[in-house]
Amino acid sequence: MALSNGAYQSLEDIVGTEYISAESVILDSYAWMRANELRTKDRSGFFIRPEAVVLPGSTEEVQAVMKACNRFKVKCKAFSTGWISLAQPSGAGVINMDLRRLNRILEIDEKNMFAVIEPYVIGSQLQAEVMKLGLNCHIIGAGGSCSPLAAATSFIGNGADGIFMGYSSETLLALEWVMPNGDILRTGSLGAGLGWSCGEGPGPSLRGIARGTTGASGALGVFTKCAVKLAPWPGPAEMPVEGTIPAYYTKLPNNFREYTVTMPSWKAYTDAYYKIYDAEIGYIGHRQFSKLGEDLSTAFFALYRDSSKSLDDLEEFTRKPEIQDLTDELRHYSFQLILAGMTPRDIEYQEKVLDQILAATRGHRVAAMSEPTTAQFVLLYLLKLHCKHLNHVYAGGKSQYFRPDGSPDYAIEYAPFMIELLKKYQEKGTLVKTGGDSLMGTLSGIGGGGDFHFEQFVSYNRNDMESINAARELAEEARKLATERMPGSPAALVGLPPDVMLTAIAASSQSIRYHWQWKIKQMLDPNEVGESAGYPMLKEPPKE
Amino acid sequence: MAGKKEELMEIVGVENVLDDSATLNAYSKDNSFVPGRNPRLVVKPLNVAQVQQIVKWANQTGATLVPVSSGPPHFRGDTVPGAGGAVIVDLSRMKRILSIDRRNRIALIEPGVTYGELQPELAKEGMRLSTPLLPRRSKSVVTSLLEREPITVPKYQWTLIEPLRCLELVWGDGSKMWTGEAGEYSSQDIAEQRAKHRSLVIGMGPNNVDYYRLVSAAQGTMGIVTWASVKCELLPRIHKLFFVPAQKLEELIDCVYKILRFRFGDELLILNSANLASMLFAKPYEIKALHKQLPPWVLLVGIAGRDYLPLERVAFQEKDISDIVHQSGLEMVSTVPGAKNNEVLATLLNPSREPYWKLSYKGGCQDIFFISNLHKMPEFVMTMYSAARALKYPISDIGVYIQPQHQGVSCHCEFNLPYDPANRKGLTGVQTLFTNASDQLLKQGGFFSRPYGIWADMVYNRDAATTMMLRKVKGLFDPRNVLNSGKLCF
Amino acid sequence: MALNDYRSTMQGCTRCSYCKFITLAHIKSWRFSNGCPSIAYKGFHTYAAGGRLSAALSLLEGKSSYTEKFKEIVYQCQLCGLCEITCKLCRYDMDVLDTLREIRFKMVEDGQVPLQHTSLINNLRKKNNMVMKTGVVPRKWAQGLNVKDLSKEQGSVVFHASCEARFDKGRKKVARTAVTLLRDAGVDIGIMGQGEGCCGGKAYEVGYKAEFNQCAQNNIQAWTKAGVKTVVTSCSNCYFAFKRLYPKEANANFEVVHTVEFVDRLIKEGRIRFNKNVPITVTYHDPCHLGRLGEPYVPWNGTVTKVFGQITKHVPPKPRYIGAWGIYEPPRNVLKSIPGLKLVEMERIKENAWCCGAGGGVKEAYPKFSSWTAAERIEEAKSTGAAALVSACLQCERNFTETIKDNGQKMKVYDIVELVQQAL
Repeated sequence: MALSNGAYQSLEDIVGTEYISAESVILDSYAWMRANELRTKDRSGFFIRPEAVVLPGSTEEVQAVMKACNRFKVKCKAFSTGWISLAQPSGAGVINMDLRRLNRILEIDEKNMFAVIEPYVIGSQLQAEVMKLGLNCHIIGAGGSCSPLAAATSFIGNGADGIFMGYSSETLLALEWVMPNGDILRTGSLGAGLGWSCGEGPGPSLRGIARGTTGASGALGVFTKCAVKLAPWPGPAEMPVEGTIPAYYTKLPNNFREYTVTMPSWKAYTDAYYKIYDAEIGYIGHRQFSKLGEDLSTAFFALYRDSSKSLDDLEEFTRKPEIQDLTDELRHYSFQLILAGMTPRDIEYQEKVLDQILAATRGHRVAAMSEPTTAQFVLLYLLKLHCKHLNHVYAGGKSQYFRPDGSPDYAIEYAPFMIELLKKYQEKGTLVKTGGDSLMGTLSGIGGGGDFHFEQFVSYNRNDMESINAARELAEEARKLATERMPGSPAALVGLPPDVMLTAIAASSQSIRYHWQWKIKQMLDPNEVGESAGYPMLKEPPKE
Repeated sequence: MAGKKEELMEIVGVENVLDDSATLNAYSKDNSFVPGRNPRLVVKPLNVAQVQQIVKWANQTGATLVPVSSGPPHFRGDTVPGAGGAVIVDLSRMKRILSIDRRNRIALIEPGVTYGELQPELAKEGMRLSTPLLPRRSKSVVTSLLEREPITVPKYQWTLIEPLRCLELVWGDGSKMWTGEAGEYSSQDIAEQRAKHRSLVIGMGPNNVDYYRLVSAAQGTMGIVTWASVKCELLPRIHKLFFVPAQKLEELIDCVYKILRFRFGDELLILNSANLASMLFAKPYEIKALHKQLPPWVLLVGIAGRDYLPLERVAFQEKDISDIVHQSGLEMVSTVPGAKNNEVLATLLNPSREPYWKLSYKGGCQDIFFISNLHKMPEFVMTMYSAARALKYPISDIGVYIQPQHQGVSCHCEFNLPYDPANRKGLTGVQTLFTNASDQLLKQGGFFSRPYGIWADMVYNRDAATTMMLRKVKGLFDPRNVLNSGKLCF
Repeated sequence: MALNDYRSTMQGCTRCSYCKFITLAHIKSWRFSNGCPSIAYKGFHTYAAGGRLSAALSLLEGKSSYTEKFKEIVYQCQLCGLCEITCKLCRYDMDVLDTLREIRFKMVEDGQVPLQHTSLINNLRKKNNMVMKTGVVPRKWAQGLNVKDLSKEQGSVVFHASCEARFDKGRKKVARTAVTLLRDAGVDIGIMGQGEGCCGGKAYEVGYKAEFNQCAQNNIQAWTKAGVKTVVTSCSNCYFAFKRLYPKEANANFEVVHTVEFVDRLIKEGRIRFNKNVPITVTYHDPCHLGRLGEPYVPWNGTVTKVFGQITKHVPPKPRYIGAWGIYEPPRNVLKSIPGLKLVEMERIKENAWCCGAGGGVKEAYPKFSSWTAAERIEEAKSTGAAALVSACLQCERNFTETIKDNGQKMKVYDIVELVQQAL
């Protein structure tokens, strides 16, 4: 369905001629996304074109666009940094609202530790500004190029700093919300004009319908501003960054420590996590580098830190004895931990506590990873998450499966068969042979600890049809396995066509939650203007 | 009459439906200024099935239900029926501590469990739960958390709802739901799920809605919670309390910000001498005497050492916090005239004595509380004092409690106004002061995020969009408005 | 090569948006975090490198066709190369800049070029330069310089003045200063005089490969005939053409040195000595073509295989151009050695430098955009508190000077050699 002339004109009148387009070349650039080849029939990276793309420049323009969409019965998919397929229309009749022009940091309240941001502020920008004031911000696992507002209001929100800074949802304070009908709701203290610092109330907290563990990805309107809670930063106002591209590193003062620790078993691994939670230490904790594969990760990161090397040298690096030794030492049970002491005594204390934890779990600090240039590289990497596009480094394609999310004991149960499954597929040669354990995960997704998940990285070649097909096959097998082992979980629903998905969620446990989502959607968006991919719903209530 | 008593007796048993005048009278009013109203019945369910049946019954008969979990005395007006013919749903029989999971530090409790009952059981597992400031003995833990009462340890507040996590609840339409990660479990069998290491840790969700936020500070208008998982902390092996006395509140602000910035310490709260005295002593003359001895303002800083190097933790934080305090030109000490740290700590870590500590001075007390930012607190105090002076209410009687919350992002400000309930003139005076001061503080920028009694109209009249949306949401989850009708904006 | 040969780059784009910002680790403020002028100016994703890659693929697959918008998308880009380095921060299998150039080659073949570029190329064909100014006599830039005319004599070192110097009065001064410096330092420098032709670099950038090849051949022949071994220039555009494009496209084999590298060497050798203070605070702008694009061309001839299932491996290893080895330190060395001069750095420097706005044919076809880009850089320069903006590229300096004048601002613009001269 092409946009009617009336609809187009109406939108053009709102945003101006230069900020709307229905040109095919522009629409195609919005239809392009990573991993689309895993869902398109022709394995193309192009998915469905939006009918038009608009770039509103203010909350008022966003409101007007939503009203126009209601009037002309057009759906709208709003997004900001948009590095995921949920930023795209899932069917015809949808316009893309690109929030790029809403890109300001409106306020940083240093005393009370929060910032007010618009959708297109990226994590790296916010971090740079707040570090000047001795603060830091939560950066999600996808890295510094992503929008903290989008993470806090509309999507998931795990990150390497979760143990100390919390999940994106936990950082969310008040928000400015353009409803699907174009009305504005300002939540918490903002609603009464009392500033941004309280996101709850008055009375029941309406941000409860804005998002849960995940956000609505645009199904319930557009978030045009929000306040996010910041965290202390005991480092310099500007992080020194040295080195030759890409091997950047940082030298931080003595109140920082970076370690990779390794344990003798999965049990010890989870024990260590629980002990870290109990001990209340840790600024950043992540199982980051294993994502590039138990067999290749160490070699890759060694070559990455040599500006004169490339993937052409990877084989050679894997053969180096010191790399092989380190690969074995890190295999499976290792993760990264950054300690940040607010004072010299604090860092000393945290170190000693870590010593105790390692002694109790028979783990140890990996010496090679503590070698200064390596440690400085890892420190910068994890503090800034500035090169998370490395997720795609091997051959352009990256997908994931399962994502068991819960307590560490829960997630660990899945590790062995997640590893076996990937290994089985890698042996066919159509995927990148990273090794079965390409599991990544944050020490805790939520503040203070308690929540852990594994994300299994599947590296495939975007330019190779067999490889794409292999990734699709693997995803399907993983989904079937998830149906058996994690029934009702998101992992069991991935990639299902819409009608099959409906049946699956209706049959899933506690499906009432999908019915409530349908009701909320009906309440807020009776004209179904907010595009709903990412917001599963069940019209019929489950039978009791 | 909407619905019959006998129908409810069939649900909960004859002995658990009460309509004698003494009982009804006890529920008809509380210590707030909310006008009293007799309920029609009091019903005491034992489990979620009964709660569901009651709610469905209310939907069929049009009765209003008023959920109550804590025992008396009540203070907020939320348990006083707001509509005629109401049925009190007293959850105090639901008193089980269903499980305690040390590894995941999660306790699963029913709404009738009080702090006094929970803490000793947690202590057996080496844990405790952060509490609000001296909750009364009959206070329901679940209610306290649902109502977003601030806890005294701001560093644990990752959200304002901490440490509340998953819930089992019955919505106003009678449907049952598990929220948080529990809402994604493959079955509603906790034991079976625990065997699979599902831990009830994640309170968000399930999926795209944070249901627990919708029932928070809802005064029972959205749903009735029948169990909750709560995140515990480790029981300190060493626990010290320190005082930072100050002549003026302003002197304390910067050092509190710095302590919050470092996330040091545990308990962190400011009390004025009136409140500290009332906390420590029960007799009016004792309170008065201590009040005179104490410094006008005291910052209480708790430092705990837990399982890992407890001595070292306490030692280094004591030094570092002391350095911070010093930078503000103040001193961190173990005693202040009239109060020793171990006595105050013991008081702080336990529920209130009986009668409730706020009632000790004059027999009655009204609280005004709201949220703002720490640096604005001195201005709010001036406004409160000014309102008191205008009505000739003695400023020295006003208790002030300032509680940084949400890891320092916002701050709870509370004024406690003692009065003699037997003195009619005094009562009227306090009521006027309560109203006037609330109005002025609201206009000054206080965010009454928990709008009890008269605050509801004051707050919702200023925020039409929120009011409209809340009513829509209420219409979803309680379409027949059976739950505590007349409260908030419903 | 044809556009289809870059399909793997187009298909490899994951839409990470790294091409829109400087390397994230180096972001020091919100204000100066953008890396790509094009998308910062226009907003639509299509104007970022990632968007252009999908645009090119859309064209190849017949999903879109040439329109004025398509043309604008392709050409409203300075080809500054920021996207190349930020993409290569994490990817070893992407050749973004080459793909963007290849789109232009195809568009020229297909006759889809901005009119202004047609005029530009006609000027090149007729007048052998890419600066469309009238009333300037090109040979006059070298009047009185008293150096060899290598169109008539032999010499091993040629100073290539560039079109900018030959046709713009402001830039002429810089070229003259450069030549004088080198000559007085004892370098046996010569010029091609009237025989100097355009380097062809801009022709290449706007997609006219044939015209570039012609320019290259002309220059290579002239230099060879004169016995030249070393080519020196003050124009970074020309530097890039000689350093990277001539060996790649025309098998040239000359030592190519930027004036600033030469001066750095001469200072270290004691052949340039400073006698005066130059009490000024300056900030240095890294020209794209000297900095991140200033790496030498390294020929590669090998095979491609796959390892570990699906990872592409080149045998022998294929060189990467990642901006690591551009000319960053020599200009800074020179500035720091000038007595009394204080160098303060902007936030976006070295491989992350914000473009001056003039490259890629943008100044000619989209002057407002070019000015806007320059104005952004000038704003950044001002934020350092510096009194002057210094660079080592005649094209950059012209664009800054003109933009400052058009906007009624007050900031001095110098070429490095001008400050060196002041200190002599």
